[in-house]
Amino acid sequence: MKRVTVLLLGLALVVSACGGDDGGDGEGLLEEVRDRGTIRCGVNDVLPGFGVVDDTGNYSGFDIDFCRVVAVGVLGDADAVEYVPLTAAERFTALQSGEIDVLIRNSTWTATRDGQEGSTFLFTTFYDGQGVMVPDASDVMSLEDLADANICVLSGTTTELNLTGVFNTRGIPFNPVVFADNTALRPAYEQGQCDAWTSDVSQLTASKAAIEGDGGAAQRILPDVISKEPLGPAVLDGDSAWAQAVEWSVMATVQAWEFGITSSNVGSFPTDDDRIARFLGAGEFADFDPGLGLDPDFAVQIISEMGNYEEIYNRHLVPIGLPLGGTPNDLWTNGGLMYVPPFS
Amino acid sequence: MTTTRTNDEPQVAWYRNIKVLRVVAQAVFVVAVAALFFWLFNNLINNLNRLRIGTDFGFLSRPTGFQIPYDEGFNPRSPVRDMVLVGVKNTLLAGLFGILLATVLGVLIGIARLSSNWLVARLSAVYVETLRNIPPLIIIIFFGFAVFTFGPFPILSEATQLQIPGTDKTGLILSNTLWAVPSFVAGPRLGVFWLVIAAGLVSAVAVFVWRTRLHERTGVPDRRLRWSFGVFGLVAIAATLLLGDAFDISYPTLAESGRRIAGGFRLNNGFISVTVALGLYTASHIAEIVRGSILAVPRGQSEAANAIALNGFQRYRYVLLPQAMRLAVPPIISQYLNLVKNTSLGVVVAYADITALTQTSIGNGQPAPQSILVLMGVYLTFSLTISFLLNIYNRRIQLVER
Repeated sequence: MKRVTVLLLGLALVVSACGGDDGGDGEGLLEEVRDRGTIRCGVNDVLPGFGVVDDTGNYSGFDIDFCRVVAVGVLGDADAVEYVPLTAAERFTALQSGEIDVLIRNSTWTATRDGQEGSTFLFTTFYDGQGVMVPDASDVMSLEDLADANICVLSGTTTELNLTGVFNTRGIPFNPVVFADNTALRPAYEQGQCDAWTSDVSQLTASKAAIEGDGGAAQRILPDVISKEPLGPAVLDGDSAWAQAVEWSVMATVQAWEFGITSSNVGSFPTDDDRIARFLGAGEFADFDPGLGLDPDFAVQIISEMGNYEEIYNRHLVPIGLPLGGTPNDLWTNGGLMYVPPFS
Repeated sequence: MTTTRTNDEPQVAWYRNIKVLRVVAQAVFVVAVAALFFWLFNNLINNLNRLRIGTDFGFLSRPTGFQIPYDEGFNPRSPVRDMVLVGVKNTLLAGLFGILLATVLGVLIGIARLSSNWLVARLSAVYVETLRNIPPLIIIIFFGFAVFTFGPFPILSEATQLQIPGTDKTGLILSNTLWAVPSFVAGPRLGVFWLVIAAGLVSAVAVFVWRTRLHERTGVPDRRLRWSFGVFGLVAIAATLLLGDAFDISYPTLAESGRRIAGGFRLNNGFISVTVALGLYTASHIAEIVRGSILAVPRGQSEAANAIALNGFQRYRYVLLPQAMRLAVPPIISQYLNLVKNTSLGVVVAYADITALTQTSIGNGQPAPQSILVLMGVYLTFSLTISFLLNIYNRRIQLVER
């Protein structure tokens, strides 16, 4: 018996000593995802318009649709997504630890996040800014009127840092009331424990619609925009193949919008233009593969299942009060910022 | 003529010699565990380096970047280690006041449950059985929401202000975010005042020792507590009268804007929710411990106390509690540690304890493994300190078995 024990312990030692083969965890995430058959997507589950879960467990929203876009592009199946709901404070740790493959959770692209948080931000899907919301009945008209106010803010967000930075620069004292997520924040704001709520303007618009829709007091978003908030998907550093597969899948929706391809006309869209033919993988370009690791007809699959950028936007963000025309999220040909590199 | 070998053991090969095998097995086990930990640590360092996240504790010198709630003096540009100190202070405050509340309430309710008054006994039983079985997080959330968010208190700009009768100063301000009471602030000659108080303490201890020795020598009732407190009280009163301007009382006032309270001692709703909720929860556990330890005192003690006509209070004070508390102290130490650790749940009611601040700083880009190590170190320090101090007390009063 002792002999057996000694032998087993020796075996354990040998196994543990040669178990460390994890050099390059990130390399080959594309293959790993294809083997696994699902994409693990870090999402928000309490933000109307961007990511919400209903009581049957179905996720829907702007960011959710982009998770599905990536799933179609990489795996060919929009439902091959495992949604991992995350709070703002834990989202980057989840990405760093490999718990999720891609983070599409209304996250702002900043230098610190690209650098010391080990993430790589991809194409910006939504150009936003930070704003402040107050009850309509309040006499706050500008940021200066918020001296000494309690301001509700979410923990671990750029809003928290920007709030501190802007208010300190202008010399306005304030008191942050910090919550982990909107479920606890919203009642505190509605009951007057906070004088104002600061977040991305898109979040505030969604919350304003939700509060007024549930019969609450009228809300007003202040005209001051405190910062730039480019929101987009993020992946872990060190795996360019995976990053590019995700990015080009996402950008395909904007390219389709630019060409005028929608989910209803993708099947019959004229492909005389070489650029369109290459993009759709049609006609003589049926085998055109730029080497991104995506199928030649990945764009067709994405557009037919999910629609182009405009359709996705209209489906989720216009109903909560965020117009598309005339905003930075419009196509570059209309004066907006949506401009994707050519697919050739 | 045969020589008898003093060593009777047969010659055994080393791989069947039990002594050697024991040593080898231990060594192999130790090496295996060390190898496992080394591999885990190496894995962590490699991945952190690959992602260009720092692997040292240099992040403690980086600026915090965010404002700490209800701490107007905190500069967001101060380094992270200052933020850790603020978190430690907040956790300690909530922990200490919670422990105080839990002990007082717990001992009272534990005794009450053994009362011969049926109503008192039943009510304390209901209290204990309800609160013990609800997770502390739920109690904190309930308190935070029921008492403050959806509770009867008005918003700060319309706060209830109670005047001190006879003056125009505010004694108490109540709102759904801040409560305030008057506080003492240092005036001139404060150092002298503390010196006098210290002298009073020293003389009180001297009187205590003197009365004890007197009692031992002559049998005179020592009344040492009365003497000591009396001496200290006289010194304190004299100091207050003669050095009365050492202290000023700061009364809380609601600012014009209705958004902040100046002066006084301000308590925010997160602190009150966490402290009171955890105090009530831990009190239910301490009540059961106290009740159990009182019941563990042999019945004969109570009967003897009744036989010599001690009333209820005297029975507890002189017979039961001294014997019961020896049994109660070790489990109560555990409950204190649990309370301090449970203050980490305060993040749900926006209380800025060390866990909440660490989570926020991780969410804002500080490296997670190192921050969590610092957090664990903080809680470990609290736990070890509390149990060390209380174990000193425990060792003095515990039953010594032969």
